[in-house]
Amino acid sequence: MTTELVMPSGGDTPPPAAAATPAAGGLPPSESVARQTWQSFRRNPLGLVSAGVLILLGLVALAAPLIADYPSGYGEEVLAGPGAGHWFGTDDLGRDVFAQVIWGTRVSIVVGLAASLLAIVIGVLVGVAAAYFRPADLVLGVIVDVSLSLPVLPLMILVAALAGPSVPTLVVVIAVFSWPEVARVVRSQGLAVVPMPYVSAAHVIGGSHLWIIRKHVLPGVAPVVAVSVVLTTSRAVLSEAGLSFLGLGDPNSWSWGTILHQAQRSGSLATAWWTTLFPSLAILLLVVATTLLAVAYNDARNPRTR
Amino acid sequence: MPAGARFVTRRLLRGVLTMWFAVTVTFFLLRLLPGDPALAVADPTMTDELRAELLRDYGLDRPLAVQYWEYLTQLLHGNLGVSFRQNQPVLDILLERLPWTLLLAGSALVVTVALGIPLGVVAATRAKGTLDRLIQVGGITGQSLFIPSIGVFLLYVFGVVFGILPIGGAMDDDVYGLAAYGSIALHLILPCLSLVLVQLGSYVLTLRSTLIDALGEDYCTLARAKGLPNRKVVWRHALRNALLPTTTLVGLQLGFLVGGAVLTESIYAYPGVGRAIFEAVGQLDFPVLQGAFLMLAFAVIVANLLTDLAYGLLDPRVRTS
Repeated sequence: MTTELVMPSGGDTPPPAAAATPAAGGLPPSESVARQTWQSFRRNPLGLVSAGVLILLGLVALAAPLIADYPSGYGEEVLAGPGAGHWFGTDDLGRDVFAQVIWGTRVSIVVGLAASLLAIVIGVLVGVAAAYFRPADLVLGVIVDVSLSLPVLPLMILVAALAGPSVPTLVVVIAVFSWPEVARVVRSQGLAVVPMPYVSAAHVIGGSHLWIIRKHVLPGVAPVVAVSVVLTTSRAVLSEAGLSFLGLGDPNSWSWGTILHQAQRSGSLATAWWTTLFPSLAILLLVVATTLLAVAYNDARNPRTR
Repeated sequence: MPAGARFVTRRLLRGVLTMWFAVTVTFFLLRLLPGDPALAVADPTMTDELRAELLRDYGLDRPLAVQYWEYLTQLLHGNLGVSFRQNQPVLDILLERLPWTLLLAGSALVVTVALGIPLGVVAATRAKGTLDRLIQVGGITGQSLFIPSIGVFLLYVFGVVFGILPIGGAMDDDVYGLAAYGSIALHLILPCLSLVLVQLGSYVLTLRSTLIDALGEDYCTLARAKGLPNRKVVWRHALRNALLPTTTLVGLQLGFLVGGAVLTESIYAYPGVGRAIFEAVGQLDFPVLQGAFLMLAFAVIVANLLTDLAYGLLDPRVRTS
């Protein structure tokens, strides 16, 4: 699913012949849904720009060591404003904020993606099970509803504080409290798919539950899962930033939330605006891009808005 | 049993079930996590005998089921334990803080709904227009904001650069009577605004799409056909039906709102439960963290119940379904 969303630069570019057909009046019926979606998606500038921004952030995360030195130790220029030497200025210990944001991209994205993938796996399993096995729905549905109505952040804080701050802790804690949202959307889509005639037909020809789920139910819920991957990742990045901001980030690495935490702790939060502005912009950029990408994908997939 | 009583009973049971779930999850998370609770109270260099004594004092050497039962009874008696650092019952510490959080979250919710409904109506009635696009983009951007970021931004602009609003706390120390209320209101503006900016988007976007659907329904066409002015069709006929999903959203968003309040209070040194959490994280004061979660969960559950019941009064379909 991820590949499908971040595909724009991927190898699935339609051959010239296919690109020429729309001019002849509409797509031929044999055209696959994925290709129609892509055809429509690439006409949407907002979606393309968002995908570009996310690819750029991903590259920054991968290439962090090439872009900036790891921010450690102390510098001589304390709380210097943005300038030629330090593009984003320096913090209260003279460390380069630009380098912090670059390296922070890495941790923020890694935690966001890992937590989101874990949450997706649990959420899809629970959501599909609830939609497919009606008796299970009684219990699973209630668990999902109940956990969605609880304040999650205070619970994450409690668990993260007990388990001790580290990157794996953050990933697991965020995932464990994010899957109910995924399960909710997968379940409601699954409830629409399971009563379909083709699922009944699969029962009639004697398909096993596992086979039916894999071949018929999962493809039916795949589009909402795709959107869910994107949205859950951005929410996970926000959760990570929140926990790190409160001082529960990994003390041995930089994330966007950690930068804000350090700024708050040192009291430079409100006076040295550059220590907060740049990590904040990074968070905003990532979350807006993921949200717009999800919207664009939804529009491209929906025949009525295509 | 009449439908109304059944509705109330069902919602009450649901609230109790949710609270039980929150309590149970907390209990087992705390016991099953690798961290040793005794390590948290004293320094790691203590002797084994001392550790065993501590575990016994806290009742941590007894079977899990006994501990669980004990935990439930203590909670029902309002005992949330004693703070590690302040040597004071957690309940007392938190009850002192709770009114501020309720004030902050409550006012944020009221302002959000009061702004969200007209904005949603404007967007839906001018769908695809420039104003609609602006509202949509604004809503998506607002939802994407990180609360500490927006908090610091507002604090910097209004508190530091213009200096017209206080930069932290909930009220000035030396004011009494009417002036005290004024001071409280002034201190509330920025924290409340931070929460509203983040919350508003989801309400506006949800209301917009449900209202667009409602306006396409037959009863709206009929209302127009019989010559009702458009304003009445929207506000009297379509909006009433479009508000149901929005009310459901309140339930889903309350937990998120409370989480936002924790971050907001941390930024503005606002003396609520969230600020207590922020301080407890720094001091590793686990009883306070646990008590704060349970108290916030309880507040959210009660608020949810009240929303449900209020909506049941307004919309007969909710009562009978």
